Amino acid sequence: MRNSYLIVALFAIFILNNNSAKAQSGQELVDLCNIIADDATYLKDFQVKLDAAKPGEEKPNMKFSVVLSKSTQYRFSICNSKDYPGKAIVSLYDNNRLLGTNYLVATGKNYPSFDFKCQSTGVYHIFIDFREGEQGLAVVLLSFVQKL
Amino acid sequence: MLNLHKLVNQLRYMFKKLIYIFILFLIFSSCTKCKNENKGNFSEEFNIPDSVMYDGDLAISEAAINDIVQNISSPVEMAALIKSLGVPFSKDYLATTDYVDSYTTSFKKAIGLGVFGADLGYLNMYNKTGSVIDYISAIKTLADGIHVGQFFDFTTLKRLATNNQNLDSLMYISVQNFNQMDRYLRENKRSSLSSLIIAGVWVEGMYLVGEVARKNPSAELREKIGEQKIILSNLMIILKNYQKDPNFKELIDDLNEIQDMYKNVIITYEKGEPEMVEEDGMLVIKQNDKQFIEISNELMVKIINKTAAVRNKIIQL
Repeated sequence: MRNSYLIVALFAIFILNNNSAKAQSGQELVDLCNIIADDATYLKDFQVKLDAAKPGEEKPNMKFSVVLSKSTQYRFSICNSKDYPGKAIVSLYDNNRLLGTNYLVATGKNYPSFDFKCQSTGVYHIFIDFREGEQGLAVVLLSFVQKL
Repeated sequence: MLNLHKLVNQLRYMFKKLIYIFILFLIFSSCTKCKNENKGNFSEEFNIPDSVMYDGDLAISEAAINDIVQNISSPVEMAALIKSLGVPFSKDYLATTDYVDSYTTSFKKAIGLGVFGADLGYLNMYNKTGSVIDYISAIKTLADGIHVGQFFDFTTLKRLATNNQNLDSLMYISVQNFNQMDRYLRENKRSSLSSLIIAGVWVEGMYLVGEVARKNPSAELREKIGEQKIILSNLMIILKNYQKDPNFKELIDDLNEIQDMYKNVIITYEKGEPEMVEEDGMLVIKQNDKQFIEISNELMVKIINKTAAVRNKIIQL
């Protein structure tokens, strides 16, 4: 009888062990995103994990602030974890205006990356949420493309 | 018959023991896997008791500091600007790593980590792998000294530098390691050290640009030095949070002198409408704002001199 408990425990650990091997880690997403960023030089990554929006509530989001420099082209690359349904929407703001986003509502087109040609040194804000407020895990990579 | 019964019991006992050992092995290997995933991910695995945690009153809470601006000073961008101007590499600009063992306090180690991080960015940008090993060794020593050495992949970086291969990976891994250290410090209520690393990177980056501007003056470098007015004001917000610490106070006083000089730098803006266009399949956001930075040569030289004095004070023993 006791041996059968041990075998069940053994089996459970094996299953757990096997599942954790399949889950996509934040680091894997960062590495993947760095490939998507192509020849741009990695600067920073932002890892976001958000729960699904509750009915009647706003979509959850996360905000990061960065300093970007004048006459510089930056790249934002977005990588979604395959373990969650959510597809990340990244919106870039200056102090009070939306400058752009990777998801165009009009066309429904979702871009895996976008470039930003910065003309003014200052603080910029990156807002990240998931389409339809779905649960998601994503990494947004900021990289340096070139001086303009 | 009795012996046979004894033997069966012994075998049963051994079998149980083997199962326990096997379970322990599985648990251990499972935890190792978790640990490796966490290392680069959400940095939750290490919980080192730390004497260097800042325990004074904070004007801005540790949690709020995490929301404050990131990427304040980037060794990549400063070095990229210098290289884009066609300025040749010079080892003379770099801080010496000879006295790293004499950096005894956490304050000194953290700010030194930032200084050498900026130098490593400059070396990597120019593919000077021969000198890189000195700097990654120094960084490893300082990172270990403030208990974040586990995030600095010294072995891989050394191999890449020694073999002079995959130089993009050298840059990628080293920058990422610094980000991991920064994230870990912020998440573990050690933002004071994180702010010192950022300050070290900024001061050394400014020093490099300043020294290059002295020998190779250009409009781009002058503008770069002028726009640091904005960056420094953000850095000061973070540093002033820890001004009750005498070491911080001294650093803040020094940087305050630079900030006072920056009051005479005039920055004006002309707003434009941003646009999103597709270029070769890539979505591009064009800002269309204009920013004008006015800084006289005389003032620029004053700022360069003061920055050099602050930087030399930081790396002196």
